[in-house]
Amino acid sequence: MERMILQTIRHLEDLPTLPSVAVEVMGLSRSPDVSIKDISECIHKDPPLAAKVLKMANSSFYRRGSQDIDTLHRAILLMGLNEVINITTSVSVLTSLGSRKSQGQSLRKKFWHHCIATGLIARRIDTRLRLRLQGREFVGGLLHDIGKIILDEYFHDQFMQAHSLSIERQCSMFEAENEVLGATHMEIGHFLAQKWGLPPYIADVSLNHHRPQDARFKDITSVVSIANLLAKAKELSCGGDTMSFVLKDQQGWHILKKMGHPMDSIDLERITFEIEDIGEEVKEYISTISDQEIQEHAHA
Amino acid sequence: MPMPEYLNTSQPGMPDEIFRLLRDFIYEHSGIFFSDNKKAQLENRLALRLKMNNLPDFDKYYYMLKYDPQASRELRALFDSVTTNETSFFRSPPQIQAFQEKALPEILEKRAAQGEKILRLWSAGCSTGDEPYTLGMVVREVLGEKTPEWDVKIFASDISEKALKSARAAVYNDYTLRSVPPDIKKKYFIQEGSQFRVCDDVRMLVELQYLNFNDDKRVKLMRGFDIIFCRNVLIYFDDAAKKRFVSQLYDNLNPGGYLFIGHSESLHNISRAFKLVHFPGALGYKKE
Ligand SMILES: C[S@@+](CC[C@H](N)C(=O)[O-])C[C@H]1O[C@@H](n2cnc3c(N)ncnc32)[C@H](O)[C@@H]1O
Ligand SMILES: [Fe+2]
Ligand SMILES: [Fe+2]
Repeated sequence: MERMILQTIRHLEDLPTLPSVAVEVMGLSRSPDVSIKDISECIHKDPPLAAKVLKMANSSFYRRGSQDIDTLHRAILLMGLNEVINITTSVSVLTSLGSRKSQGQSLRKKFWHHCIATGLIARRIDTRLRLRLQGREFVGGLLHDIGKIILDEYFHDQFMQAHSLSIERQCSMFEAENEVLGATHMEIGHFLAQKWGLPPYIADVSLNHHRPQDARFKDITSVVSIANLLAKAKELSCGGDTMSFVLKDQQGWHILKKMGHPMDSIDLERITFEIEDIGEEVKEYISTISDQEIQEHAHA
Repeated sequence: MPMPEYLNTSQPGMPDEIFRLLRDFIYEHSGIFFSDNKKAQLENRLALRLKMNNLPDFDKYYYMLKYDPQASRELRALFDSVTTNETSFFRSPPQIQAFQEKALPEILEKRAAQGEKILRLWSAGCSTGDEPYTLGMVVREVLGEKTPEWDVKIFASDISEKALKSARAAVYNDYTLRSVPPDIKKKYFIQEGSQFRVCDDVRMLVELQYLNFNDDKRVKLMRGFDIIFCRNVLIYFDDAAKKRFVSQLYDNLNPGGYLFIGHSESLHNISRAFKLVHFPGALGYKKE
């Protein structure tokens, strides 16, 4: 039987939507013989989106060489189709959800900091372990908790109640959500990712980032589950829980190890020290993606 | 750029061979290692020892350390001058918080369940006492009214007599108290003019003693600790000395006990015995 709250959400008419062009791009990306031209023309149909994608492609997060990437065509040539689709996905989801207002703005800000930090940390883990997840670990990290936005927006009081409960009991946010709302942000995020037609790995990460053993995309989900914990350990947390943990005892860790990745050689202390100042990078990412900046950019 | 000879009148230079001999001597006796790029630092620090002993150059100083039967007293002065005693109350607050909110309650709960209300902490390399007294304050805060039910001891040791002397006096200036929360400052310090004295309730928990970490026999005797703080001490040791000492610390801990090292120090290449625990904003090492 489907949970009450999911039924309610299913019938909400004012749920945020994705820009139609983004939906189209993701659809295109699934077809085997899509061309660079198809994708770039499609994104161009939504000029603000195209501008944001280009801006992101030129930011320190993606740019490798010294040359300006001035067209989407060039971006795809230089970065690859996958990376441009990753950027389009992140930028459009963040634009759709990031502009939503909440009664508790301060929590919203923390939420985005947490998500971006998780994405950035996931990317570092990918690099360190040479997993070659091709940026999907970053998008997965960025979007793993999107269910929380919906909960915060449509069930604000109960969500806040769950937040207090998780602080009081020092339990995880999803346990508290389950108790107060009868559903978790993972289920809601999974529902939203499917409704929006986001790539399947994103739906998977949303649903399973606290139980990577159940995931289909085990490597991406495991990396995100670890990155999520590390982001919290840096006090970049959006739930109330500030639990301590042993990374080597985590499911995600075991899964990656079983897959043959050299987990024992990772210098965990060093990774932890390195992410000490990830806050700066998070801020940079936010300023790259924020609307105001984009407008200033356009007027300049 | 090397300093012109004529400007360098205050000190006799330290020839490379003597630097190496002294460096090895210090390392052998304390585990503190001066790498080649720290030669100038060692030279500066030992300059005063030359003066105090009325010696013309570093050769003579080395021979005195090595062959003079009276050298053991000089050895302690030497340790005083080669160690950095930099410390403060509530240093690295996230670590103190991890101790206060996670590690300590966990240990207390376990002990209480076992029916033995005994708590043993060790501040290894306690310098002027800021760290062990901080731990004492936190323990009192956490135990609250239950303090009298518990047998608490915080051992605090250092190789520097000078630092230990300040620790015994337990009087501090405002600057070393800069991270102390205001209510804690009010509760556990007695203001004397511009100075602050640690109150007796906290002082009585702390037992100060001279201990050289290189003295394996005595270090072995430090047994049965629940939590060890050995922060900003290992940085002076080279890898071999670190490995030896850290494996000793492991043995000094009770099962389930924690080791905290300096907030940017790592045991990654030093020991695999511990379990690395991520606390909010801080790392700890657990013995299982
Ligand atoms: C920088 S202080 C750290 C004080 C305190 N633990 C903290 O973190 O604030 C380092 C202390 O380690 C002591 N130390 C260095 N080598 C030592 C050795 N071989 N045996 C005992 N103590 C030593 C020094 O005397 C100094 O007081
Ligand atoms: Fe989550
Ligand atoms: Fe999360």
